[in-house]
Amino acid sequence: MANVSLSGIRKSFGAVDVIQGVDIDIEDGQFVVLVGPSGCGKSTLLRMLAGLETITDGDIRIGERTVNELEPKDRDIAMVFQNYALYPHMTVAKNMGFSLEHRGGSKEEIATRVNDAAAILGLSGLLDRFPRQLSGGQRQRVAMGRAIVRNPQVFLFDEPLSNLDAKLRVVMRGEIKALHQRLRVTTVYVTHDQVEAMTMADKIVVMNGGKVAQMGSPLELYDRPENLFVAGFIGSPAMNLIKGTISAQGFVAGGTVLPMEASASAGREAYYGIRPEHLDLVSDGGIAAEVLLIEPMGAETQLTFRCGQVQLIGIFRERFLGHVGDMVRIQPRLDLIHLFDASTEQRIA
Amino acid sequence: MNTKLSPRTQVALYGLLCLLLFPFIFPTWWMITSSIKPISQIFAFPPELFPSRVDFSSYTTAFEFQPFARQYFNSVYISVVVTVLTMLICSLAGYAFARIKFPGANIMFMVVLMGLLVPSEVTLIPLFQMFRAWGLSNTHWPLLLIQTIGASSVFATFIMRQFFITLPLELEEAARIDGLSRLKIFWTIALPLSRPALAAVAIFTFLHSWNSFLEPLVFISSRELFTLPVALVNFTDAYGGEMWNVQLAASTMSAIPVLVVFVIAQRHFIEGLAHTGLKG
Repeated sequence: MANVSLSGIRKSFGAVDVIQGVDIDIEDGQFVVLVGPSGCGKSTLLRMLAGLETITDGDIRIGERTVNELEPKDRDIAMVFQNYALYPHMTVAKNMGFSLEHRGGSKEEIATRVNDAAAILGLSGLLDRFPRQLSGGQRQRVAMGRAIVRNPQVFLFDEPLSNLDAKLRVVMRGEIKALHQRLRVTTVYVTHDQVEAMTMADKIVVMNGGKVAQMGSPLELYDRPENLFVAGFIGSPAMNLIKGTISAQGFVAGGTVLPMEASASAGREAYYGIRPEHLDLVSDGGIAAEVLLIEPMGAETQLTFRCGQVQLIGIFRERFLGHVGDMVRIQPRLDLIHLFDASTEQRIA
Repeated sequence: MNTKLSPRTQVALYGLLCLLLFPFIFPTWWMITSSIKPISQIFAFPPELFPSRVDFSSYTTAFEFQPFARQYFNSVYISVVVTVLTMLICSLAGYAFARIKFPGANIMFMVVLMGLLVPSEVTLIPLFQMFRAWGLSNTHWPLLLIQTIGASSVFATFIMRQFFITLPLELEEAARIDGLSRLKIFWTIALPLSRPALAAVAIFTFLHSWNSFLEPLVFISSRELFTLPVALVNFTDAYGGEMWNVQLAASTMSAIPVLVVFVIAQRHFIEGLAHTGLKG
């Protein structure tokens, strides 16, 4: 286990700057998730940490060592790939022990470590099988087993659940988290799925356009996004974001006035953000809204409203007994409203 | 798609396939049966599909008439050496072109491919003069070298390169993290996974070398050094007439290694296909 530090990391492919100066400190034993849309540079950053990509500028430290120039094998890391990258011509046991075998481990040591990892992951009965004889979830476990056997200082996961179906993804998500809690190995996990990020991470690094948009604990990011991008990216369904103008009466947008606490910034163009679960249905007060869409999901109901020209999505624990086209009144919780400057897209309040 | 055919259609289709099979099977059947017929019956009319009298003497004559065992051995060892060397060299070259980024790689690959555009007959005379100047004419060296680094190896390099390009890069990256060097990745990961391509290369390289006629004819003048294709045309009597039954017996024997290679390589080819693909 080790601290990991990325400072001033840059990566250019020709004239294209893929990573534009990233600084991240990861504490020993922390589970950090790099999350962001496709092309934001998160996988490139992970690959640079692994040593599979060179860095254009900056320093990567694992533990006490600067590893910029070290080969992947010398960085004391283990990586789980999106497609698992199991050697198809080797059995599960051989796949898991291959690294140790190559590094000159004794047969007894390899067998012990492979058996221990297999026991942790429930693979003991599958050691003689080939990858093609395994299900997607089992292959995923073998890939993790291969990483565990190496007993590395850092685990790297590159979108490891992308190839699994939705149900298995939830199961494996829990298994990876449980594994981390058991082994407490520093982990860097890349995903584009913000639900994965929220549920697994000790710390989330949201990336956008090769830069860190924000980093912090899942709830910090959820409760207090520093910019418009993070506000829109974290949370499912996404935060309602409406462009308009702050006024003395409230927030004016699309022919309606959305309520907000009095602000000294009257006249300023901004984005008004409110999470779907922070809207309440009220009998009086609030703002009038027409129900456009009803999506019952069992435990909760998602409603889409139109207020003037503004569309809002709300999530409610109570069952909605109305119909599409009904007029209702909705009330945003004033203490949970987010405001972002329209030009800088940074948080105002 | 699972289409159920009516019995009548199935019978008609099988009948058609049997008809189509005839032109493929007949020459082989005629070769094998004629090799065990007395020469007088080979051209008898009406022809005998099944020989009425069996005579294996042509097989022994083949070995007595010229050093056929030695010629057989020449063909086997030259074809095996050429096939093994081609598989080794072309898999390395194909891997390098597919995976190693070096300046001018694409241009170099194009230059290599252009070797296919030059007919082997065009280079035969210069090569003959070159090998004669080196004192290697009437040896097996020209056959080994030309076939190993000639046009067939260019094609083999192309096949291997195209295959290695399709191998997932993550396998090699996983191997790098596991601590393998480039050569070790090639040897322990890429090469075992390239069995389908290697099988294809083995089949056509072996066939090309086994059937090669022009180069042995030009470079070899001693009967002891002949390979089978050249040896086969030498089964003639004192007047230059063909010794049909002996020639067909020798031809039958010369077809056996080709069948063996094809059966072995075909099995690997299918097994190799089953190994590809990572996720599922």
